[in-house]
Amino acid sequence: MKLTKLKPLRVSIFWVLGVSVLTGCSSLGVEPWERDLLAKPEMALVSDPIEAGLDDHIYFSKEATSGGRSFAGGGCGCN
Amino acid sequence: MSYKKQNQIEITEQEHGFLGQFNAMASPCDCLVETDNLQQAKSIIELVANEAWRIEQKYSRYQDNNICYAINNSNGSRVAIDPETFGLLQFAQQCYDISDGMFDLTSGVLRRVWSFKPNASFPSREKVEQLLPLIGWNKIKFDKDSLILQPEMEIDFGGIGKEYAVDKAAQLVIEQFPDISVLINFGGDLRVTHAPVKRPYWQVGVDSQLAQLEKSIRLSIGAICTSGDTERYLIHNGKRYGHILNPTTGYPIKNAPHTVTVIADHCLQAGLLATLAMLHGPKAESFLSDQSVKFYCQR
Amino acid sequence: MQLVNQSKRMSKKAKNVSTAIAAASCALLGSSAQAEGDFWDFSKDWKFDTGFLYYGETDRVSAVEGVFSATHEPEFNDKFNFKVVLDSLTGASPSGAIAQPNSQTFTRPSGNGQYTAEAGEIPLDDTFRDTRLQMNAQWTKPAWENVTSSYGVHFSKEYDYLSLALNGSLAWDLNQKNSTFSAGLSYASDTYEPVGGIPDPLSSMVIDLGQFPTDQDFQDAFDATRIDSSDDRQTTDILLGWTQVINRSTIMQFNYSYSNVSGYLNDPFKVISLVDNGGIATDHIYENRPDSRTKHSFYWQTKHHFDESIMDVSVRYFTDDWGIKSQTVEYKHLFYIGDSSFIEPQFRYYSQTAADFYQPYLLDSAAVPEFASADIRLGEFTGVTLGLKYGWKTNAGNEMALRLSYYKQSAKDVLDSHPGVLNDLEIYPDMDAVFLQYTYSF
Repeated sequence: MKLTKLKPLRVSIFWVLGVSVLTGCSSLGVEPWERDLLAKPEMALVSDPIEAGLDDHIYFSKEATSGGRSFAGGGCGCN
Repeated sequence: MSYKKQNQIEITEQEHGFLGQFNAMASPCDCLVETDNLQQAKSIIELVANEAWRIEQKYSRYQDNNICYAINNSNGSRVAIDPETFGLLQFAQQCYDISDGMFDLTSGVLRRVWSFKPNASFPSREKVEQLLPLIGWNKIKFDKDSLILQPEMEIDFGGIGKEYAVDKAAQLVIEQFPDISVLINFGGDLRVTHAPVKRPYWQVGVDSQLAQLEKSIRLSIGAICTSGDTERYLIHNGKRYGHILNPTTGYPIKNAPHTVTVIADHCLQAGLLATLAMLHGPKAESFLSDQSVKFYCQR
Repeated sequence: MQLVNQSKRMSKKAKNVSTAIAAASCALLGSSAQAEGDFWDFSKDWKFDTGFLYYGETDRVSAVEGVFSATHEPEFNDKFNFKVVLDSLTGASPSGAIAQPNSQTFTRPSGNGQYTAEAGEIPLDDTFRDTRLQMNAQWTKPAWENVTSSYGVHFSKEYDYLSLALNGSLAWDLNQKNSTFSAGLSYASDTYEPVGGIPDPLSSMVIDLGQFPTDQDFQDAFDATRIDSSDDRQTTDILLGWTQVINRSTIMQFNYSYSNVSGYLNDPFKVISLVDNGGIATDHIYENRPDSRTKHSFYWQTKHHFDESIMDVSVRYFTDDWGIKSQTVEYKHLFYIGDSSFIEPQFRYYSQTAADFYQPYLLDSAAVPEFASADIRLGEFTGVTLGLKYGWKTNAGNEMALRLSYYKQSAKDVLDSHPGVLNDLEIYPDMDAVFLQYTYSF
């Protein structure tokens, strides 16, 4: 199997993640009255639960990976 | 949906609680919370400020993305309305009926000719009379889902907006924090949600040049609203004209008091009674005496 | 003057004014008291989300799915959600058997009837047809100060499959709700009852090519490959999450999820071909997978609000004890158009390595391994999805959105060389699909 092919990608993903975490650490959080933007429904982590549910079902039945954002779960005989 | 302006609240500690200050509806707003708990005070102040901003965003005529704009630019076509707007329209209708047409949210078009700034000119009779056909609440047709406004006419929720916002914010506070005394003041329209615990009443300072009016009003629960022209008036031929306009003539009410302050249960009540008193001109005091409310008139 | 007349008229009924105004303002503000039985008053505190999806693969499976979700949220953090999903699937799906230079005949999983693959074509089982009903209920409530609890039940039923699940989780708010730590547990019990029964793993598919004197002889031979009418599996999931507000316009989430599945994990419809040194298929045997699988996934998501747009990026790294590793990157960017609509391009990249026991086919000269599957979903491939979503608000304030996406899977060869005829044939089934989604919230 050609596992080696994927290594560069994995490295780059964690590099992005690392930088974001570091730059975010300087002053984390907001005061309650600064939540005007975060309070918008579009800023919810899952802003469209219906779409998220449909996507989870599609990818669960077409790929070997499930879960991550929410429970991996069972729930259908499609995989 | 889009983010338009920076809404900020400043919170300071006071003798009997916390004071939140912010701007909404073109006025400085205060929210005084009787509590020792900063977190609780913040939650309440945020609740109040967000409600003020929500109503401002929705009904301000200075924005071009809200229901007010949609109505005023509908050019005679049918506009869909939500239950809240329907409620406000019904309320405006009742006020129009009660006042025999003197309280009219369509009279805002008179602003096109009347300006109550220093050095503003006195409009010609012709210009004023041209606008009169565009005024008249009875020309509006609405039901619970939609509204039709004649082309060129305007609805200005400003006449009840601030009072409504105070009462709505107070209602949210009463529902979520029923035991806390909160004083809400949106640019002079003020309400206390619950009698304070650590003192018998809130001392409310009223901005007034009145000698006979006490420097402050004591209020344990209820609402205070002031209608007046201490800053907005026009001098023409040596005569002073206040900014309260008669929707049927298009001219300022003559011999109205400078300010009328009314104390009632709700801001909507107090505010409306104060405005109606102004519309009564010389008979403002006798009108208010007939109502079983506490009031102060300044002439 | 008119003014005087007005004033006189008003004064006549002046005494009523105060009471009339009080009544009008009370009517406008409504009653602040929450009456009993509000739960069933659908005009209050209820929100409804609906969705419709059409999913179609080129020459393969197509599906339609409808979702109805109702949420009752009388207070912040006090929520009840009920969701119903109904979907219907038809079409053909790769059976796992290898393409051949000649046409091939296979027995349907039920044992009733056959399907064929033309010369050079990847065999597709065309009997795929299923309708699924799913129902979820989830309750979220404040547990104690700064802690929110959530628990739910899940039910899903297909003609041949039943899934029941329970879940519960707690979320702790820290640092003025700028940080939230959550821990959840879910347990699912599934039962598989395929038409035609559970095939004996690694047994040969019985194909009637005229060698059976009677139908009964075929049926006896087919039945001999069946070991049971149904089987089950259990899934335990643990989800640990940390949500962090970074600043006024940025929020981030990290999740770790652990999942253990045990029991019957085979796909009873999938086979794997045995080929000789010339690449010619000599047999097709039912696949066999290990009876347990442990999965770990690490998920990171960030949303950032720019002046007039919102960026949503997520990355997921996944690994399991079947030897599958995958990574997923998803990028969505919502751009506001005016005040009541938006457009959102979406991009997703997915890449996985193959399970240790994945083989596109087996050589009949070698011993049959303990575990083997030719299910492409356990193979090595990448998947790319490109989508565009347009959302708008109706005059009544309800939200609608339309999304069109294109999804393409490209398999990678896990072997260095292939025997004989297979060098000229398509070995891995590629796939492309289009989905169209419509959602409406009111």
